Amino acid sequence: MSMTDKILDSYKPLIIIPVIITLIALALFATNGLQQGIDLKGGSVAVLQLQQPVTTDQMTNIVQNATGVQGITVTSSSANQMTLEIPGQAADVVTLSNAIAGTATIQSFESVGPLLSSKALSQVYFALAFAFLFMSITVFIIFRNLVPSLAVIAAALCDIIIAVGGMSLFGIPLSVATVGALLMLIGYSVDTDILLTTRVLKRREGSINERALDAMKTGFTMAAAAIGSMVALYLSVRFLMPYAQILEQIAAVLIIGLIADVLATWLMNLGILRWYMEGRR
Amino acid sequence: MNFKEFIKDWRVILLIVLVVGSIGAISTYGISQGLDLRGGSTIQIHLAEPVDASTMSTVTAVLDKRLNAFGVTDVTVRASGNQDVIVQIAGVKPEDVANIVGTPGKFEAKIDNQTVLVGSDITTVKPYTVTGNNWEVPFTVSSAGANKFAQIAQGKAGTPVDMYLDGNLISSPAVGADLANGVPSTDVQVSGTNQTKTAAEQEAKSLQVVLQSGALPVSVSIVGVNAVSAELGSQFKNGALIAGILALLVIAVIVFIRYRTPVLVIPIIITSLAELVLILGVASVIHWTIDLPAIAGILAAIGTGVDDQIIITDEVLKKGVATKRTATALKFKINNAFFIIFASAATLIAAMLPLAYVGITRGVTGIGVLSGFAFTTIIGILIGIFLTRPVYAKFIELLLGKDRKEEKATVRDTRTSKPSKKGKKKKGKKGRKKT
Repeated sequence: MSMTDKILDSYKPLIIIPVIITLIALALFATNGLQQGIDLKGGSVAVLQLQQPVTTDQMTNIVQNATGVQGITVTSSSANQMTLEIPGQAADVVTLSNAIAGTATIQSFESVGPLLSSKALSQVYFALAFAFLFMSITVFIIFRNLVPSLAVIAAALCDIIIAVGGMSLFGIPLSVATVGALLMLIGYSVDTDILLTTRVLKRREGSINERALDAMKTGFTMAAAAIGSMVALYLSVRFLMPYAQILEQIAAVLIIGLIADVLATWLMNLGILRWYMEGRR
Repeated sequence: MNFKEFIKDWRVILLIVLVVGSIGAISTYGISQGLDLRGGSTIQIHLAEPVDASTMSTVTAVLDKRLNAFGVTDVTVRASGNQDVIVQIAGVKPEDVANIVGTPGKFEAKIDNQTVLVGSDITTVKPYTVTGNNWEVPFTVSSAGANKFAQIAQGKAGTPVDMYLDGNLISSPAVGADLANGVPSTDVQVSGTNQTKTAAEQEAKSLQVVLQSGALPVSVSIVGVNAVSAELGSQFKNGALIAGILALLVIAVIVFIRYRTPVLVIPIIITSLAELVLILGVASVIHWTIDLPAIAGILAAIGTGVDDQIIITDEVLKKGVATKRTATALKFKINNAFFIIFASAATLIAAMLPLAYVGITRGVTGIGVLSGFAFTTIIGILIGIFLTRPVYAKFIELLLGKDRKEEKATVRDTRTSKPSKKGKKKKGKKGRKKT
């Protein structure tokens, strides 16, 4: 029996690894909570084109004095650009533009009042819950088999929870864009899970270990391609257009979730499948 | 490989025709870009209470009129549900937006804290005039309004008429002697002076607009603003392009590392580019607006496309029972791959449906912007599973046809061998094609 076979045969204790990480992510989320993007909590974000060098402190002072709003934060700044977040009520773009006249001009301005944001938050939960429900139903229809379907759904749930835990850890806000990323994660996650389940369950040739290794090779290539392209997106936003934070956040959420997916698919989903097949024998 | 056979396959021909058609459509109709890419503003206005259809059309008409009065040309005002209005303006700087719709409210004029005129009293507003630093805005009011005004203004020449918009004082011209005599007049004018001629013109213009829009039947407030300058928009576009090219390069490198052959890298890249062109072609034909969320959707669709191509490749290259007749075995493998592809496409589409629904009920603000992402992803996936992936599979199938002859000798013996590091080595071992 080769080394890989030995590892593959001791699948039961390995299931626990993604479970523990998921629990840690849940604990992180429960204690640390999630930041919310301004589209969900209300407030304003302005991207400013600087006309003269100004420190972040100077800029927050200027805007604070003009708007009377406390807690203004600079979320990104480069030599000639700065992104400001102004909490609370939708800020008045005229007051802001007058306050910074001569120092900077407004390149982009997004403001969401509390009325809009309270509606948006409930719709975010609605969209996530139904996306997950529809995905689960489709998986059941495809496999018509309780345990393998549950394994796929559990893996997707782990991915999302770990990604949310990562968002809590790294301060990535829950926003319309990151919700989109979490939903994209459902898609990426079930890809590899369906591949694994189909290969291991439906195929006849080769030993279970061989089929699992085969699926793993394909799955790792898929994960590498997806993670690699998201890292490319993350880095190009980071260095080429720091004001496009939304794209950076989408990429970051997907990178965390895709790494979680590698663990959830190949340690947990595969483990549950093997356990199930052993029990059936 | 048998290139002639590949090019004769009906799906290959269809793909080529559609790609050429898409390029034609894009160059003829162009692609309509979202305001976040070409610069512009989206403003969401919320009404104090839900209104019926005819009141809503009054509201949108008044807002439209006001924007036109400010000289804004490329503007759309449309209702979203029965309580929200969405205003989209192209090519206006973010700081000008609030000047234009910053005070969208209810008009009232008061003398000594008594209301003399409300928005609905005003019937028409005439063009303003500016002489030197003095300005005048003439307008007519309904006879009821005129009576009320005359009654209260009687004997109060020189008293300020405080004009409010949503409770904020915007102008306080004095009551003219001709209006303080107690005789109702439907022809009224407001006048004032400012330091410079330009300032006087501006004041007159904004008052005129306010009077014109004063007829809003319900008070409104701005609940959301999203404005992007044209420079930033084009930076977004270029950034997305660079990120896309980089992502594709990374994928090419990973595919090359895995399979060690450009023969597979090139078709994966070409297939991805074909998907991009087809999605943009569909967008061009149905006038679907491409904005940042839509770009994210395109990336998601192409990302799953690459995943699917890897599945097809591995499924076909994979070793297996060699006793089956090879032509059927190859078909069987491709069918296997397509089971996985259809299953994951179905789950992804199922997951995207709630978002698409939110967009239908919510319009394109707030979380509704994600419906663009959902629709674009769904379009991309459908194009992929019905067109580009079958063509890729056909390509792989024929690629194996060539290798088959060279490696015929190694057909069996796979059951006990260790998994090969490089899938390519095993390729073709049983990939016999018909003919």
